[in-house]
Amino acid sequence: MKRLLLTLVFASFTAVSALHAATDGEVAARRTALDVAGAFANDGFKLRDGFWAGQFAPGKSKILQVNLYAGNQYYFTVGSTAAAKKVLVTVYDETGKPVSGEPYLDTSVAATGFSPENSGIFYVKVEVVDGAAAEYCLVYSYK
Amino acid sequence: MIWKLRPLAGSLAFVCLCASAVAEATPLTPEEMAGAARTDGLSIPMPGEFLASLNKLGKIDWGSKMRLPIGTNYTSRPQMALNLGGLIADGYIAIEAQDQQQVKNIGRDVLTLAGALGVSKEVKERAGSITSFAEKGQWDQLKEELEATQNEVKQTMAEAKDQDLVALVTVGGWLRGIEVVSGQVAAHYTETGGKLMRQPGIVDFLNQHLDKLPDKIKEDGSVKIVRKKMGDIQHLIAFPIDKAPTVDEVKELNKLAADTLKDITKKQK
Repeated sequence: MKRLLLTLVFASFTAVSALHAATDGEVAARRTALDVAGAFANDGFKLRDGFWAGQFAPGKSKILQVNLYAGNQYYFTVGSTAAAKKVLVTVYDETGKPVSGEPYLDTSVAATGFSPENSGIFYVKVEVVDGAAAEYCLVYSYK
Repeated sequence: MIWKLRPLAGSLAFVCLCASAVAEATPLTPEEMAGAARTDGLSIPMPGEFLASLNKLGKIDWGSKMRLPIGTNYTSRPQMALNLGGLIADGYIAIEAQDQQQVKNIGRDVLTLAGALGVSKEVKERAGSITSFAEKGQWDQLKEELEATQNEVKQTMAEAKDQDLVALVTVGGWLRGIEVVSGQVAAHYTETGGKLMRQPGIVDFLNQHLDKLPDKIKEDGSVKIVRKKMGDIQHLIAFPIDKAPTVDEVKELNKLAADTLKDITKKQK
């Protein structure tokens, strides 16, 4: 499993660099996110190979639209660089209402898990709750 | 790290340092939702994710979901891209069926089509891993390897200024997934199963990409078919959240997806 995670991190370097100039911070944020998301694999969760990276700052959250299926369980994990002292990831339904989940927070990494009751559009918001502007990387797992 | 975190993952009872996080979250504004990012890498589910949801409805005879091998010697690059996506989705079905030989055959066909598209060098190593995992029956690793293969193909296409073809790979894979899932739901209909068809965001995203294709690609016979049928499909899968489609609507969706896939596998004149 460790080898697989290293492969994913390596693959992500290549992928990020091809999409745009990957910063060291984005690579570090990705590694932080994978450290936590990788643990879910032990519980049968499959880690998506894709990811979403960029910069965020206090008061300047970032939102991604995703499409999820009823019946599946999901975990969204955001990792960030150390400048962000506390980060948060929140999932919203298609009306913009926050959905309840199982949150995990630990300084520069956060995760939330939930099982949608209906298939469709959801929104995932990542934000800096405490600290300064930083780079982030969001990944998700499902089973 | 993983083993250190195993108890955490195993129980899924995370230490919550912000127990009221969700309760405190304010709803998103319409502007925030409209401005949300959408990426091919995360906004569009992989075929495996869609098929996983089907497994929740009951035991599925995945072996019966496999189709006869499709051709790999097309002359049109857009048609190759569409069928490459469908082939990768076939790979997920073979993995669900735990059919080693089919996985290896599909891996070989993916390599052939990828070669025709000029991305075989990048896929060759992955194809070797797919064969190795299949021989060892490592099905979970196979799913991850297959997703990585698809992403690598798309990435290489994007680097080679073939970005337009990336959307076609995604469309081909999604169509094959919807064909299989709608076929299963139509044959064993329940309202819960019917609601799995609801994917308005995906079709909207894919149709936007199809509309933005250069005229030269839009004129390709296979792309013309897909653009027309995706418009029809959109009406069937964008139903309200509190309504399930009828069994006839699911059957219609299945026929549309199946016909589209048949049409795009036919050699163009």
